[in-house]
Amino acid sequence: MTNTINNVEFVRNLVEDNYKVNKTEVIDQYQVSFEVEKEEVHRLLAQLRSEGWIQMSYLSAIDWIADNEFELVYIVFNWEKPVYIQVRTRLDRDNPVMESIMPIHPGCKYYEREAHEYFGIEFPGNPDFHKPLILEDWDDMPPLRKDFDPRAYSDAHFSSREYPETHENTLGQESKVAQRESRMARVFKVGKGGKK
Amino acid sequence: MESTKFSPITKLSKEEVDRKWWEIGDFFRRNSLWMLMYCTGCCAIELPPAMTSAYDMERLGMGPMATPRQADVLLVTGYLSLKTLRRVIYTYEQMSEPKYIVGFGSCTINGGIYHDSHVVINQLDQYIPVDTYVAGCMPNTEAVMNGFIDLMSLIKNKKADGWKRYKENYEWYKKNQIDSLGEVQVHDEYHQ
Repeated sequence: MTNTINNVEFVRNLVEDNYKVNKTEVIDQYQVSFEVEKEEVHRLLAQLRSEGWIQMSYLSAIDWIADNEFELVYIVFNWEKPVYIQVRTRLDRDNPVMESIMPIHPGCKYYEREAHEYFGIEFPGNPDFHKPLILEDWDDMPPLRKDFDPRAYSDAHFSSREYPETHENTLGQESKVAQRESRMARVFKVGKGGKK
Repeated sequence: MESTKFSPITKLSKEEVDRKWWEIGDFFRRNSLWMLMYCTGCCAIELPPAMTSAYDMERLGMGPMATPRQADVLLVTGYLSLKTLRRVIYTYEQMSEPKYIVGFGSCTINGGIYHDSHVVINQLDQYIPVDTYVAGCMPNTEAVMNGFIDLMSLIKNKKADGWKRYKENYEWYKKNQIDSLGEVQVHDEYHQ
C-alpha cells in the first residue's frame, strides 16, 4: 500500500521543480491541479506518462469570458500511485489553438473533437478535429461558449406550445377554497395546526 | 326467384362492411398491443414497474416488441434532442399501420425543464402525431397505466387516428421537421 500523502508530495516535487507552474492546488490526497503555460503542456504530459500517469481520463474546456480566455483541463491518472493530476492551461479566446496531444495520448482524439465542437478550439495535429461528433448539422456558434444564448436559439428553431390565458371549469365543480379555509379554521380552533 | 321461406339477406354497402371489420380488428388490436419503447428520456424508469409484477401491464394485453415493423405502439419516454428526433421519425415511418404514439412526461408536451435548451425540441406533436400524452415530470406508474387504458379507449372510440392524420397532413409534418432539423436524413461518419 503506497502512502497517498507522499504521492502528492512526489507529484509536487516532480512538477514544480522542472516546470514554470503558475498555480498549484492540492484538492485532496488524491487530486492535484497545476496551471502551466501552454507551451509546457506537452513536455509535462509526456514526462508524467513516463512516470506512470498513463491514463488520459478527461479533457475539457472552461470559458472564462471575463478574462477573454479558454482554460483547458487535462486529467491524467496513475494506477500505481493513486493521484489524479489536472493539468490546466489558458488559451487566448479570440484565437484558440492548441497543438494536439495525440502523440502522447492517442485516446484524446475524441475529447479534442468534442472540445472543438462545443467551444471552437482548434487542435492541429489531430486529423479529424474539425469533424462533427455529437451535434448533427449544427449551424450556429459553438453552443457551450458563454455568449451563446440557448433560449434564443430554442425560440428561433422550435415552436413552443401556446396556452389560453383564461381557464374554465369544464366539470362544473364548485370551488374548494371555502371548504379548505373552513377546515383550516376548525384545525386552528381545536389546536395549533401542527405548529409548536 | 325469391325464397318464401327465408327473409332476403340485406346487402351491406362496402363502407358498412369495412366499418364492421375495422371494429372487429380494433377489438383485437386494443386487447393485444405490442409496444416499441423509445427509452432515451428519464421517464423510461417508470416502465420497469409497469411491466413487471408491481403493475403488470400484461394483464392489459400489452407486451414489449423488439422491432418497429411488428409493433403497434411507439412509447416516446421523455425529451428528444434533434439527434434522437431524426431516429424517432425513421422508426415511426417504419412501423406498419395502424400505429399509435404515447408521449410521456412534460418534455414531449411543452419541453418541460428543457424548454430553453438548444438541442431539445419543445413539442413532439409538431413532428409526428401523438395520440395520447401522460403528463408529469416524471409521471408515476399509475398515470402510465392510466395512459395505456386511455389509449385503449381511444382506439375503441376510433379517436386514435394519428397515423391517418400523418398521411393526410404529411406536407405539414414534413415542413415542421425540415424547419427544425434542417434535414431528416442522418449523415454521420458511422453511416457512410
